[in-house]
Amino acid sequence: MPAASEKLHALRDLLARRFPDAALSAQSRRIATGLPSIDNATGGVPAGAITEIVCTAPSSGGTLLLASVLAASRQQHLRVALIDGADSFDPQSFAQDALAHLVWVRCHTLHETMQVADLMARDANFGLVLIDVRGLSERELRREPSTSWYRLQRAAEQSGLPLLIATPFALVPSAILRFSLTHSHPIAALEAERPALTAQLAPTVQRQRLQVAAAS
Amino acid sequence: MFAVLHIADFALHAVLRNEPESAGRAAALFDGTRKKSLVLATNPAARAAGVCLGMTAPQAVARCASLLIRTPQPEAEAEASRVLLALSFTLSPSVEETEPGICTIALQGLDSAQHVPRAREAVNQLNFLGLPATAGIARTPLLALYAARAAKTVLRIAAEDSFLAPLPLSTAAPSRELADIFANWGLRTLGDFARLPRDEIIRRFGAEGLTFWKRATGGSERPLKLVAPPQTFSAEFEFEDAVETLEPLLFLLHRFLDRLTLELRAAQFVAVEIELTLQLEDDTKHARRFQLPEPTGDVEILFRTLHSHLESVQTATAIVAVQLHLVPARPLVRQQGLFETGLRDPHGFAETLARVSAIVGADRVGTPILEDSHRPDAVKLVSPVAVIPPPAETDVHPPLGLPLRRFRPPLPVKLEFTGRQPTYLWAEPFNSAIEAINGSWSSNGDWWQPDRAWARTEWDIALASGGLYRLIQVNEAFFIEGEYD
Repeated sequence: MPAASEKLHALRDLLARRFPDAALSAQSRRIATGLPSIDNATGGVPAGAITEIVCTAPSSGGTLLLASVLAASRQQHLRVALIDGADSFDPQSFAQDALAHLVWVRCHTLHETMQVADLMARDANFGLVLIDVRGLSERELRREPSTSWYRLQRAAEQSGLPLLIATPFALVPSAILRFSLTHSHPIAALEAERPALTAQLAPTVQRQRLQVAAAS
Repeated sequence: MFAVLHIADFALHAVLRNEPESAGRAAALFDGTRKKSLVLATNPAARAAGVCLGMTAPQAVARCASLLIRTPQPEAEAEASRVLLALSFTLSPSVEETEPGICTIALQGLDSAQHVPRAREAVNQLNFLGLPATAGIARTPLLALYAARAAKTVLRIAAEDSFLAPLPLSTAAPSRELADIFANWGLRTLGDFARLPRDEIIRRFGAEGLTFWKRATGGSERPLKLVAPPQTFSAEFEFEDAVETLEPLLFLLHRFLDRLTLELRAAQFVAVEIELTLQLEDDTKHARRFQLPEPTGDVEILFRTLHSHLESVQTATAIVAVQLHLVPARPLVRQQGLFETGLRDPHGFAETLARVSAIVGADRVGTPILEDSHRPDAVKLVSPVAVIPPPAETDVHPPLGLPLRRFRPPLPVKLEFTGRQPTYLWAEPFNSAIEAINGSWSSNGDWWQPDRAWARTEWDIALASGGLYRLIQVNEAFFIEGEYD
């Protein structure tokens, strides 16, 4: 008897073959991240879908990646929401102009974070929604039912917004793209110029559901 | 041509329109000032149940046990009068407030083909706002009033004689003495009276007879006592019983907004700001000012702004009065720049922010602004701007290093020193040997303000277990301020 995940995979393939346009129309629009390794591999983060950045090692560059996305979205004239689950964003690490398009929501719990994300993911005034749940306790994160993440995916699909979620471990079952950052930076990175660090950042692709579906 | 908007039993409907639960129920207005209270006005349901003018309260309740008994409320009447005026201004700027519940409007300048449709629109709007109204259109103000009283919705008088002829003499309000004489003569209708020679009426009854003759034949054109459109857009109401739930308050606020937006539209304004004040039972006030993301005259958008806020408000005591003020502005005519980032739906954006504020608190949402200070974490949040300016030129000196992820509050740590160099770190989430260290750097500021003065020393450290952190010393204690990431 096939496992549940195999059945799910077969069902996804079947749906992608039957309705190829439905899978591609919303997600065919991509938002550039400013990271060559992501933009060259996938064209950016897909609109109307969730992209997960898993930062398994400390100082692996998750915030550097978010900074790159912030800078790229500023150049693309997008308004960005940052839902900061553990209130850990540091505006002083950025120039004032790089924050002009940002709406920062300082949450304290995952419950608050998910409530706010559900609202903001439905507001088409934003061009991009960033959610950072790193810093929240692992127990709290694991307790969140997977239906919450699927609900968030539905909201993103309806509004056509790209959602980028930074997590400490693979957490979001509804993510269509998942990248992983696994290596800590050395202390010399603190002396290097940030654009050079960004260019060197090479997250590995862990999941890319859209291409699988399209290829099928 | 003149139009008259008329609300029968105005004082009663002015009270009932603020009570959604009274819809469809029999109601009567009683004179509350006398010892023996008498019925002053009734609605159609009460009349159908047999309640008549002049009855006492026990008599009226004997006819209709479920009768709603109400007394006049000058505040509600003033509010209803402003609604009637606001809708009158949608027909013409020349409006006279003839009597409570009656507005006379000079229609010069309005295409005659538009008279009836526009009047019907105003009547429908008044009905929607809880004021059952009728409209009459005729050559003179008086004739238009007769037409409004006789109309089911809108009546335009083309053939005056045939309209007046079947109307009872009481329509022209004769004095009691004249009414008795005409009754003795066998005159019942205005048509009967109009057949009498005018000169004979004047000879027998003098000036009083002439006045009545003019009234009976529809009067003549006269200049109206014009009312100026309102320049302030405010509404207030004092509840008879203190309000403890949201629904009655929201209902009233919607009523206010319906009227205020009509007034704004008539003056060619839109609202740019809302000021809401709730007077509480304990003599305190809850006041809130809402800056709208984009000026608007849309009732639903303004209402949603108030609704989103009030859903999250809890007052210590019940609400006894409410005041609402709209700050007017001219509609926006500026076109956005090609490289500016505007909002697709400014009011939807404001609503989202209001809902988010209700979840996390108003001080935890906004665009971060760096303060002009070297104090750590010196950042304030401001409301996001409606139009984001184009990005500045790229800085020739790019930022160095990884951005910080702050621990708020900083994590207290214990350190093991070898000589003067920290070599091992204990904190709650991690323990590790310190592999490399940069620093130290000392900084201080605000030393001239004792309550804000700060001083610290900081290091950048790399842990053997992985991770780059900012270590700080404040007074004698050490903390990890954040992780470079």
